[in-house]
This record gives sequence, structure tokens and C-alpha cells, in this order.
Amino acid sequence: MVRYCLLSVLAVFLVLGGFWQPYDPDAVDILARHSGMTASHLLGTDHLGRDVLSRIMAGGWRTTCVILAVGLTGFTVGTFLGTAAAVFGTWRETLILRCCEFFIMVPTLVVALTAAAIFGLSPLSAALALGLAGVGPHALLAHTLSKRVLGQPFILAAQSLGVSSFGMISRHLLPNTLPLMFAYVGNQAGLAVVAYASLAFIGLGADPSEPDWGAMVFEYRVFIFDHPMLMIWPGTAIAITVSALNWAFDDFRA
Amino acid sequence: MHPVRLGIQSITGMLAISLASFTVINSMPADPVAIAIRVWNLPATDETVAALRAEWGLDQPLLFRYCDWLTRFLTGDWGRSFRTGEPVLGEFLERLPISLSLGMAGLALAIVFAIPLGFFAAAHPKGVADRFSRTLSVFVQAVPGFWLGLVLLWVLGVQLRWIRLLAQDWTAAVLPILLIALHSVAVLARVYRRDLMETATQPYFRTALAKGLSERQALWRHGRCGALYALLAAVRSEAGWVIGSTATMEILFGLPGISQFLVQSIAARDQMVLQAYVMVIVLWMLVMNGSAYLAMRFLDPRLA
Repeated sequence: MVRYCLLSVLAVFLVLGGFWQPYDPDAVDILARHSGMTASHLLGTDHLGRDVLSRIMAGGWRTTCVILAVGLTGFTVGTFLGTAAAVFGTWRETLILRCCEFFIMVPTLVVALTAAAIFGLSPLSAALALGLAGVGPHALLAHTLSKRVLGQPFILAAQSLGVSSFGMISRHLLPNTLPLMFAYVGNQAGLAVVAYASLAFIGLGADPSEPDWGAMVFEYRVFIFDHPMLMIWPGTAIAITVSALNWAFDDFRA
Repeated sequence: MHPVRLGIQSITGMLAISLASFTVINSMPADPVAIAIRVWNLPATDETVAALRAEWGLDQPLLFRYCDWLTRFLTGDWGRSFRTGEPVLGEFLERLPISLSLGMAGLALAIVFAIPLGFFAAAHPKGVADRFSRTLSVFVQAVPGFWLGLVLLWVLGVQLRWIRLLAQDWTAAVLPILLIALHSVAVLARVYRRDLMETATQPYFRTALAKGLSERQALWRHGRCGALYALLAAVRSEAGWVIGSTATMEILFGLPGISQFLVQSIAARDQMVLQAYVMVIVLWMLVMNGSAYLAMRFLDPRLA
């Protein structure tokens, strides 16, 4: 129960960041630079006097968009392809599975790097690239699960009762595979957060002043001697988010 | 699976990926001719544009350009970088050793450490090694390597002054290699442990115990090869992760490897460099895949 409370608190914090921050995350206040942790700036201000908490909240909203888009793309397309492969069988199954295997061979980060290089790094382009890279593993998992369900006696029973193929997939197959697929998406969400942070950290011609957690670590790394707390906060935000996600979905892990 | 079949599959995969990446990269919104004119300060007349387009074959259909690129690529002509004006192949050969040694050393170190860690975790469930490896795997999942590296630099370099920051000799590579290895150690040790634990439930393991072997001896003698097999299978997927960590480490520690070169080239929309990078990565994955497969085949004669 504690883990769901923690996840809800985190979700509220992340979503809140999309609508409200204590200060404008890009507002420069050169007089208040490096203010340290004070009552008005809870996590202090950076070298331009921007409020770190506001920037972390804005970055949290961008991260949330990435998590949702990655989950949605990988989950929908992957489940569709995997289920289709299992239901079709024969050469179409082989074709889909081979394509997915080749797709897995290219590392996720390279797919995302290429996409970011072409379309520029934004939460949307990165999430689409990360999500597309996640299609392969999702499809292979959906295929394995579907094959296992299709081998069960109740499928044979339904077939002999003359259930249509649409009814078979929607009433008998998907209800049995979707819960496990859903758990897998939850576990992938943590990976997506780290992958997006890595992309933002690497930079790739994106505007480094955008308040992404990874970009903040990159930007604040030069203050390691004088103001190390600046780079500690965004990293802590990443670690807490990923831990909360992993912890909440731990139960489902097969 | 026969090695020849693996080879054919690898080559097909490489061709498919190269065609896909070539299509995607060449449909970039940025026009290379416009970039070249800007970068090289050429007069932006119609003649220059037409001459450049003809020289690079941009007026040809895509498939034709792909074939042309492929033959050039295979004969070692990887094109020229817009940004530096140097041949891409030379630029890569200069930087590849750094990236490769980072990745290979990290992976090798991970395998070396994962085997004893996984073994002791399996020999004493709930023991120190087991708890340590479990904590480690939770930790590395949540904490990104680049941030951990930065925190370590702060603690070891700034606070304790144990390491020199911005070192230019080989010591600069120690921390990145350790950080790259850390993630893989955690993953591989868990895989190694899980396979050994499965061995312990097998009837032949009970036979070995009945013969008078201690539990640890029996695990090592009868579980070692099977667990190594599982470990190698995991190395194949871990090889992809290593590339990502190598990229962030190159940026964090300022090591002039291929990922740093790529990031610098991206801003100039350097298509040739991007294409070459994708090919190098795919080649790395295929080589890792192939060597892991050969080692697995050596371990398990049933595959041969």
C-alpha cells in the first residue's frame, strides 16, 4: 500500500509541474544567483538566479510526457504486432518476429540518438523514438504470451463453439495477455526515464536551457567545485522517480 | 544454428538496417547542399547548388544513391564530414579505439566480477553476496551512470581529493570503465545466480551431493558451464546498454570517442557521420552477438 501512496504522491508532483511552478522556470534573476536553500527558493537558485525547484517541476512534467508516450507507443504497437503474429501464424508470424528481432539489435539509445539528430530533441520526438525502440521487445513478449494462451484447452473449446475470430481475440486472448503486458510496460517506464535523461544529458543540439533533468545535470556539472547541490537535485529527482516506478510495479514482475 | 546461417542472417540484418537508416537519414528536413554552402562559405548561386547536387548524386533516386553509398562504404570510402572536411573513416579510426576500449574493458570487467558475485550469491542465498547483488541491481536501475559519475567526481575528487579531476593520461579512463561495468555487473550477476539456483533443483545436483561433494563444490563443478551459457546470452543484450553508457561517459569525462564526435557533428547535420555511426554500432552489436554465439556453441555441443 505504501508503494502506491508514494507513486500517487510522485504522480501528483509530476503532473502539478505541468500547470504550476513556484516561479517561472526560465525567469532570470541575476541578483539572487546561487542563493542556496532558503525559504523563498526551497532548492536554491542556479547561476542565472533561476529557481531550481521550478525547473525540476517543469522537467518532471516533460518526463511524465515521455513516460506516457513511450508506454503508449510501445504497448499499443507491440501488443498489436505480437498478438497479430501469434494469431496469423505461418510466414506472417516469421516475418513479424524477424523484423522485431532485427529491431532489437539496434540499441534503444542509438535509435533515439538518430531520431533526436533528425527531428531535434523534444519530449515528443524522444518519446516516440524510445517508444518505437520498445516495440520489438513488447511484440516478442506479446507473441510469447499469446502463444501460451492459444495452446490452452479453453481456446479449443471456444473454437468448437464457433466463436468468431474477433470475439476470440477480444474476449479470450487479450484479457489473458494484457495484465502481464501492462506490468511489463510499468517496468519499462523506469528505463524510459533514465534513457530520456541520458539523451538530454548528451545534448544533441537541443536547447540546453530547456529544464530537462538530464540537461540540468549537464548544465550544472561545471559548478561541481562551488555549488555541488545544483547537480545533486535533478539526479535525485531521476533516482526517486525510477525507484518509485520500479517499486510500484515490482509485484507484477513474473 | 550453423555459423554460416548466423553469418547470412547477420549480413541480411546489416543490409536491412543500413537501408532503413539511409532512408531515414536522407529524408532529414535539412538540405545538405544548403549546409555545405553555409559551412564552406561557397557562393549560393544556382550553378554551385546544381554542381554540388550532381557531385553528391542528390539528383538520383534514393535506391540508386543507396547502392552507390553501399559500394563506397564497403570499399572504405565513408564520405567526408561537413564539419571537419576530413574523410569520415579517418575520423572514426582515430576515435574508435577510445570508445571500443571503454566498452570492451567495461564489459570484460563486468563478466570477471559478475561470476564470483553471482556464484557466492547462489551458494549462500540471503547471504552477504546475495543481498549485495540484489541491492546493486536495484541501485543501478534507478541511478543513471552519468549522474553517479558526477557525484563520485565530487566526493572523490573535490571533497576527498583522492583522484585528479581533468586528468589527461590513462587514469582518466578508470572511473568511466568502472561505471560502465557497474551496471553490467549487477545484471550479469543476477543472471548467473538465477541459473545456478536452477541447477540446484536438478536431480543430478542431488546425485552430486550424494556422491559427497559439498554444496559449493557441486555448484561449481556442475553448474558453472550452464550458468556461463546464460551469462553469455545476457551479454548479447548488455552490449547494447554498454554503448549508451559509453556515450554518456565520453560526454561526462570529455573523452574524445565516437559518441562525442557524433554529438559535435549532429549540430552541423552531418549526415555521413550519422550514417557511419549507425553502421559502426550495428557492426559492434553483430560482432558481440557473433562472438557470444561462438562461445555458447563451444560450451554447449548440442548447438553445433
